[in-house]
Amino acid sequence: MSTLPGLKEDCEELLGAFQQADTVRFERFAELWRERRFHTIFYGRIRALERNKITKKTLDLAQQYFFPPYSFQIRVGALYLLYGLYNAQLCQPKQKIRIALKDWPEIQKFHLDLLDSQHYDAAYIFRRLRLARAFHFTAMPKLLTYRTKKKIEENYFKEEFKDPSNRVNSLITNDVLEELMNVHDHYQKMKCVISADKSQPDKALSLIKDDFVVNLKDITLEHQEWQQNRMKLFGNAKVTPETENKKKEETWLESEGSERASALARIKYKSYSAVVEVSKSRRHRQVQLESSESGPSCGKSPGRSKKKASRTPQPARRGSSEVRGEMQEAEETVTRHIGMPVITEEDLDEGEVSLPKRRR
Amino acid sequence: MAAMAAEPAVPDYESAELYTRAFRVGALGFGWRRLLGPPDLSLAAEEEEDADLAVAAALDCAPATAAELRAVCRMRKKALERREETIIVDRACRQETLTYEMESHATGKRPDNPTDLIEEGELLLTLNIFYPVIFQKHKDHKPYQTVLVLGSQNLTELRDSISCVSDLQIGGEFSSQPDQAPEHISKDLYKSAFFYFEGIFYNDKRYPECRDLSRTIIEWSESHDRGYENLQSVKMEDYVFNDLSLKIGFPYLYCHQGNCEHIIIITDIRLIHRDDCLDRNLYPLLVKKHWLCTRKCFVCKMYTARWVTNRDTLAPEDPCFFCDVCFRMLHYDAEGNKLGEFLAYPYVDPGIFN
Repeated sequence: MSTLPGLKEDCEELLGAFQQADTVRFERFAELWRERRFHTIFYGRIRALERNKITKKTLDLAQQYFFPPYSFQIRVGALYLLYGLYNAQLCQPKQKIRIALKDWPEIQKFHLDLLDSQHYDAAYIFRRLRLARAFHFTAMPKLLTYRTKKKIEENYFKEEFKDPSNRVNSLITNDVLEELMNVHDHYQKMKCVISADKSQPDKALSLIKDDFVVNLKDITLEHQEWQQNRMKLFGNAKVTPETENKKKEETWLESEGSERASALARIKYKSYSAVVEVSKSRRHRQVQLESSESGPSCGKSPGRSKKKASRTPQPARRGSSEVRGEMQEAEETVTRHIGMPVITEEDLDEGEVSLPKRRR
Repeated sequence: MAAMAAEPAVPDYESAELYTRAFRVGALGFGWRRLLGPPDLSLAAEEEEDADLAVAAALDCAPATAAELRAVCRMRKKALERREETIIVDRACRQETLTYEMESHATGKRPDNPTDLIEEGELLLTLNIFYPVIFQKHKDHKPYQTVLVLGSQNLTELRDSISCVSDLQIGGEFSSQPDQAPEHISKDLYKSAFFYFEGIFYNDKRYPECRDLSRTIIEWSESHDRGYENLQSVKMEDYVFNDLSLKIGFPYLYCHQGNCEHIIIITDIRLIHRDDCLDRNLYPLLVKKHWLCTRKCFVCKMYTARWVTNRDTLAPEDPCFFCDVCFRMLHYDAEGNKLGEFLAYPYVDPGIFN
């Protein structure tokens, strides 16, 4: 059999329940596991050869949920799931979890996240797996046997498990829009300088749409909203997970101080998207960036770019309040735009919301 | 990670889910060893007791938290152990037993001689070597054997370990002198062989009789501009697997006996693990083999065929297979004279390696 029927559904059901529970604590996961008697997944009167094969496939399936683009909570759930499956397996010697070289940096980053946000149970479990030598360190995650005839199954990601960040947001970031705006202004100024009338460019020089940056911003915003609405539909009455989860998260946690809470929330907001690098071409511009400075240091690694997925550029005319890391905030889901520097200053928040100024 | 001479050091797919880009095998080992610490690479037994202080240091938390973690994060063992005592399982067929045994017979083995122990950080490659036999029933799934090979092993060691039926063929027609079938098998006569990986032919040049079989191909590709970049020819014995540049999942070639070609696919490369066989002498290790049914003698249907006859007036079909005893009884009289007209050849069945 090439796939184990029902296995994927079972795992997704467990991870879904874990996601619904809105926590990353192992105790909760263990409860869910025991409720479902998940260890019986390896029962069934099968002999050694088939048992090995089935266990390998199970671990392989669970391992997929451990990597991006899944959300943080699902990844922690996948870690617990791997721990559970590894220990519950009946093969002797135990089948191992395969980790490819290209995925290791992500795992390390994940591990650092866990330590930073003091999710000690998850970090401890990862440590136990490593000490038990549960991993095979391989070149590629799957065995490649050049089976062209075999239909390669589409990897269908469950939408709810995915991190809210997406490629549009990763492309059109704050930085990019700021830069575009600045370049656009500079271009306009250059046109003015070389035209006859110093106050505005020649008609012959108008080759682009003047307001394209604003349009781009609007389109991105629309996309962002559409995505949020979609997430809303999936969440059925659960508003974009972050705010609600945060609230519940605080009640679940043992009292560890608001520092930890804010650190936690910060980690949860972190998107996995890449931020556009500043190009050297910026040097020529005389326009200075009045970018929003970051306030107190954000967590333990200020160098990292922290951008909440839904906190993409929005026009300043939106009067909605900001979503913050602290608990006092009202439950609002629409976020505030960080501020194109040329537009009048909004109230910059002092939290992790703003991007640190990029070094040239 | 820095790329080495335009080759990526981190293997990734070139064709999604099918095969990777070419990369140097040794670089993978280097890459992993750089990223992992001593406990991950170690081949020693796992530690049972994870001291609270060690945990606290690693996670940067308080020792009390560590103790709490240990209590909370454990899997219950009772149910599992109880089940083991009561379960009854049916018996397996012999093919399944064979497959399972082959896969697992070497797990955890340690050598008697400590110099033969494999070191940590060694790479283990899994190769699928396909049989050259072409049967109609194998159209969809060509049979193959799986061999595990160490990164530090020579290509010649792999070559020696590949057992192919064409190596055992005995050439020549022996109907007139059945007792004089020579002992020389093809393996001894035709010693040349080559591997082809990523545009380079690795020829076996250990013996003076070995010829460069790849020269024909290289000359052919150079004669016209056929679109193949320069193909090189080097000696097999100079290279170990760590030196090679390979794609995982991509078919390569092993050719011997002049025209017996096997496809080789590397399915996996990983670091050696404690539960693997750590005895260097056992590698290259055969872990999976296709079971081929042997052809039995036409007469007794019991013994494996050793002779095949063509144009045989005494046989009901052409070609016809006989075991040694039945062959002599049918075709020769008591004095050893040939009866009837036929051509007889020694026959080696592909299933001989079962």
